[in-house]
Amino acid sequence: MDGPQDLGGKEDFGPIDVASPDFRHDWERRQWALSKLCPVPGITIDWFRHGLENMPPAVYLSVPYFKKWNANEMALGLDAGVYSLSELVSGHAKDPADPAPVQSVDALEDRQRALARSFAVEADTQPLFRVGDRVTTAARPTEGHSRLPAYARAATGTVTHHHGAHLFADAGARGEHIGHHLYTVEFAAPDLWTGADPRDTVRIDLWEPCLDRA
Amino acid sequence: MPTFDSKKIAHAHREVHAHLPSDPALRVKALESLLVEKGLVASETIDNWIELYSERIGPMRGARLVARSWTDPAFRDRLLSDAGQVVKDYGYQGHATEHLKAVENTPGVHNLVVCTLCSCYPFSILGMSPIWYRSAAYRARAVKEPRVVLHEFGVTLPEDVGVRVWDSTAELRYLVIPERPKGTEGWDEDHLAAIVTRDSMIGTQRDLSVEPA
Repeated sequence: MDGPQDLGGKEDFGPIDVASPDFRHDWERRQWALSKLCPVPGITIDWFRHGLENMPPAVYLSVPYFKKWNANEMALGLDAGVYSLSELVSGHAKDPADPAPVQSVDALEDRQRALARSFAVEADTQPLFRVGDRVTTAARPTEGHSRLPAYARAATGTVTHHHGAHLFADAGARGEHIGHHLYTVEFAAPDLWTGADPRDTVRIDLWEPCLDRA
Repeated sequence: MPTFDSKKIAHAHREVHAHLPSDPALRVKALESLLVEKGLVASETIDNWIELYSERIGPMRGARLVARSWTDPAFRDRLLSDAGQVVKDYGYQGHATEHLKAVENTPGVHNLVVCTLCSCYPFSILGMSPIWYRSAAYRARAVKEPRVVLHEFGVTLPEDVGVRVWDSTAELRYLVIPERPKGTEGWDEDHLAAIVTRDSMIGTQRDLSVEPA
């Protein structure tokens, strides 16, 4: 999809606030923790990202980062039937449950470790490309979720790494677990941007369905 | 279960936007109290998660890996070839480092990491990302004008250095290994780790100071 999240190369965002901290407000910390501790059951990382991409574009571009996460958690929870809109608006459960047990910092440290997750899967096909091959990316946006940035559409680059097969993000956003060969592709900056510095390159991780032999 | 339907999630977002208060502090409070009443989380657990990230998980982990890579060539090779395994060896595994890739700065190459599509970051070895890393300005500009971006961070590259930007579009995450600064000969690993900054491991700093970060 052509969503507001696809920011690479977009102009006029102004200077970078290079001295900014990790968080400015306590609510940001709490939203971060809520998102990590209470993910909506059955979601995939790709559906989470696709949720953010489906925010109203003007909202996506104008609110602070963790307000986006908060809106996304709310929308994902509504979508999955975790709670109703009236429960969200009131901040209270219609039928309260027994309180959740408190988890200690030590227990959470173990839980954080358990977030480690491999996206590698057995490949059931031979890779189409090898390191050194020249490849061209898809020219048009696909429907739904995609991890091919718009700035790199219809661009030709060189495969620098083959990572075996990884779960394909486009399918993950549909709740499907399908693997495709994953590659790192290097693009010369002038092949992506007018007037770019020829000394510079951009490397992007792309799955096989996004690529054709150049 | 999620619907995995783009139109439905877009509709849910419009509902949230239309019916929830604009103030994000109120919104987060509403979500937290609802999830607590549903028995899905305790507020003290949220406090403890925040403490975990402020006390135990942060850039000091990445800094240890970088410092050892400067003193132990066999370790450096392992880090460059299979950083995901090295992270496990250190007990640092967790959020977003399963497919970690370490990339080294050299006299001719400067690495810079970004996620233009969201805000992917190797949390379990660098901690929470800085606000600028998640900002629209950084995400938009790092791929298109990396040298201007680096200049804003105070980095001016020598004439013969190319910038290699890594856009984190899949589940690989990147850790930049900065060059070891001159004047640190004979230093032990702890001493070295103390000068490795978070920004140098993202790539928005190139030259490390020999003063502790």
